Order: sequence, then structure tokens, then C-alpha cells
Amino acid sequence: MNLTDEDEALIAAALNGSTYAWEKLVKRYESKIYNHGLRLMGNSTDAMDLMQEVFLGVYRNLHRFRGDAKFSSWIFRIAYNKAVDLGRRKRLFSSHTRVGEQEEMDVLESIPGGASFEPEKMVVDQEQNQRIIAMLGKLPIEQRLIVELKVFQAKTFQEIADVQDVSENTVKTRFYTALKKLKVASEENHVLS
Amino acid sequence: MSCPKTEHLLQEYFADDLAPLTREEMENHLRFCDHCSAELEALMLAQSSLNHWQDQRVPHWDRGMELFRREHRVPSPGFSFWSKLQWVPSAASFAMLAILLLNVTVVSSDSGISISFGANKIESALLESRLFAFEQQQEADMDELVQRFEDRQDSNNIELLQAVIDQTQQTTAENLDLIYAFFEQQRLQDLEDMRLGYQELVDSDYATIRSLQQIAQFVSYQGDIR
Repeated sequence: MNLTDEDEALIAAALNGSTYAWEKLVKRYESKIYNHGLRLMGNSTDAMDLMQEVFLGVYRNLHRFRGDAKFSSWIFRIAYNKAVDLGRRKRLFSSHTRVGEQEEMDVLESIPGGASFEPEKMVVDQEQNQRIIAMLGKLPIEQRLIVELKVFQAKTFQEIADVQDVSENTVKTRFYTALKKLKVASEENHVLS
Repeated sequence: MSCPKTEHLLQEYFADDLAPLTREEMENHLRFCDHCSAELEALMLAQSSLNHWQDQRVPHWDRGMELFRREHRVPSPGFSFWSKLQWVPSAASFAMLAILLLNVTVVSSDSGISISFGANKIESALLESRLFAFEQQQEADMDELVQRFEDRQDSNNIELLQAVIDQTQQTTAENLDLIYAFFEQQRLQDLEDMRLGYQELVDSDYATIRSLQQIAQFVSYQGDIR
């Protein structure tokens, strides 16, 4: 059974009231959605808000999922819409530099407990992630979403255009513009560090 | 040194759907144009720096389980009767462990219950004296009980003996009466028998006398005849 079939089996079971299936489905995607939220929102609080809204949306609309597309595509479309909504609510469009402001707090908040806890690696990972969040924070939400879909989700320009309801050329232009801004941010980072 | 082709060319490069001919043309240009190749390298570096992202662990959350259970009317494992008592074995184990570790001693006496922690000699001496007093008390109680039991047994025995004696006396008196009546009856009967015997004897004597008189008369008659 491949991942898509497993997803569909879990969805069917969850629709029949299986808490186990629902929990397994959530566990399968929560990390992807949470990290997606971290990159888009820039802090763990907003990332958690986004993740919870995404899974609430999934739960409310699960009966509408027909299996025409992959569940992963479907859930990321919901995540995209929620991110846009949340971004609007938090005025991310007008003051996107707010992203990454809660850097210090996030590092402390996101240190997990558990057997795989490795402090040094954690700190290095956190620093790298914070640099990436800071770079992404220089982009407006539309460009940040395109970078997210193109680089982290490995979507094609056509798929991104479908998700964002814009032309493929617009996506390409926005992506290139975003890369140029990232280049500047990256150079600033190197100068600062 | 800038290049008028850079903007258009690199945008096309990152559009990643170039025709083979266009790509070859672009690569030729990049080979000779330092500005474009430097710009491309910087953009590639910026893009690749994003790939260093390390997925972070999701903070704890309930995964919508509460909502799911509520709407599907699945009983929450935390709300069943036995689940509520899940802490009881742990609490009992903890209490037992605490009792063992702290060497808790519970002493019940006439003055109430006392709980003490740890053990010492004074306490054991006190315990021994209490034990001795308790034994003495027990012994005294036992003696008193035995005495009461003996008294009760004695009184019972006396009553029993008295009853037996009374019964025996009554029976003896009745028997004596019977014997007396029997003897009296026998005596009267003997007297009657004696009287009858004497009467017969007397009668017999009279008969003998008469016989003798007859014999004498006969004899005298015979003598007269002769």
C-alpha cells in the first residue's frame, strides 16, 4: 500500500469515527504543516495557530475530499489559503518585516524533550532555521508562498499558478524577484555574520 | 560591468522549462559573461541556502482529538469510570514505598493511635514495657475470667447435687412408705394366718377331745358290756 492509498484508507476510517485513524493522519502531516507555518509566519506561535486552523479545516472538509488529487496537495492548498488569511489578519502584507522578530523566544520554545535531544545540533539547526526565516521575512507573503511551494514543496510553476490563481508567467516573475531579494538578504547575512 | 541580457536570461534560467536550444545558447553566454555567471551563482547560493532548513519538532498539541471524539461521540479515555481511578494503583504504590522508606510505625493503644517515623531504642523499650503491661493485663483478665467460670461451675454443681439429693430423699421416703405398707400388710396377713391356724388347731383339739371322749365312751361302753 503506497502513501496515497494509506492516506485514503485513513480518511475513510476517520470518517467512520476512528480516532486512531484521525490521529495517524494528523501525525503524518503535522510536522510538514508546522514547518511550513514556521517558514511562512516566522514564529512558532503563529505556526501553531496556522497548523491548528489547517487541521480544523481538514476535519471540517474531510467528507468533501474525493481523492481526485493527492491528499498532500489538498492539505497544502488548505494550508496556503489559511496562511493567506492569517497573513491578512496579522497585516503581514503591509509589514512583513515582523517575521522573525520573536527569534530568541522561538529558539527556547521549540526545544523539544525526548530521547533524540542533542543540544549542540539543536542550536545549530535553530540558528540555520532562524537565518532562513529572517531571509524569508524580507519577502512579501505572495513571494514567500511561491518560494515555499517552489523550493520546499518542489512544485512546478504550473502547479503554483493553479494554487494561487495567477498565470504561470506571473509566478515565474515573482519567483525570480523573490530570489533576487533572497540573494540580497543572504549577502547581508554573510556580512553581518 | 553589467550585461543587458542578465535580467531576462536568468529569469528564463530559473523558469526551468527552457527548450534545449535556448538552454545551450544561455550556457554559452554564461561561459563568457562574468556578470551573468556571478549573478547566477549568487542566486543559486541564495536558493541553496534555503535547503539547510531542518524540520523542527511540533510542540505538543491534542491533534484535534477532543473535537473528533466529541463530534463522533467517542468516549474519551480520560472520562470513563475506571480511567478516573487509574491514579489509585500508583498512589497506593507510592504510599507503600513511602511507608517502607520512612519506616513508618503505627501503634494502637488505649490512648489512641500513634504514628512514628524511623525506629530507635527508646521506642523499642517503650514497646517492650507496653507489651509487658499488656501481658500482665491479659493475665489478670484471664485469671478473673477463670475465677468467674469456676464460681459459676461450683454453683451449678451445688444446685445439681441439691436436686439429686432432693430427688433421692423423696424416692427413699416413698420406698420406705411402700416397704412399711408392705410389711404392715404382711403382718396383718400373718396375724390372720396365725389366727386361722390357731382356730384350726383349736378345732383340731376339740375334735381330738371329742374323739377321745368317744373312744373313752366306747371303751367304757365296752367295759360295761363285759
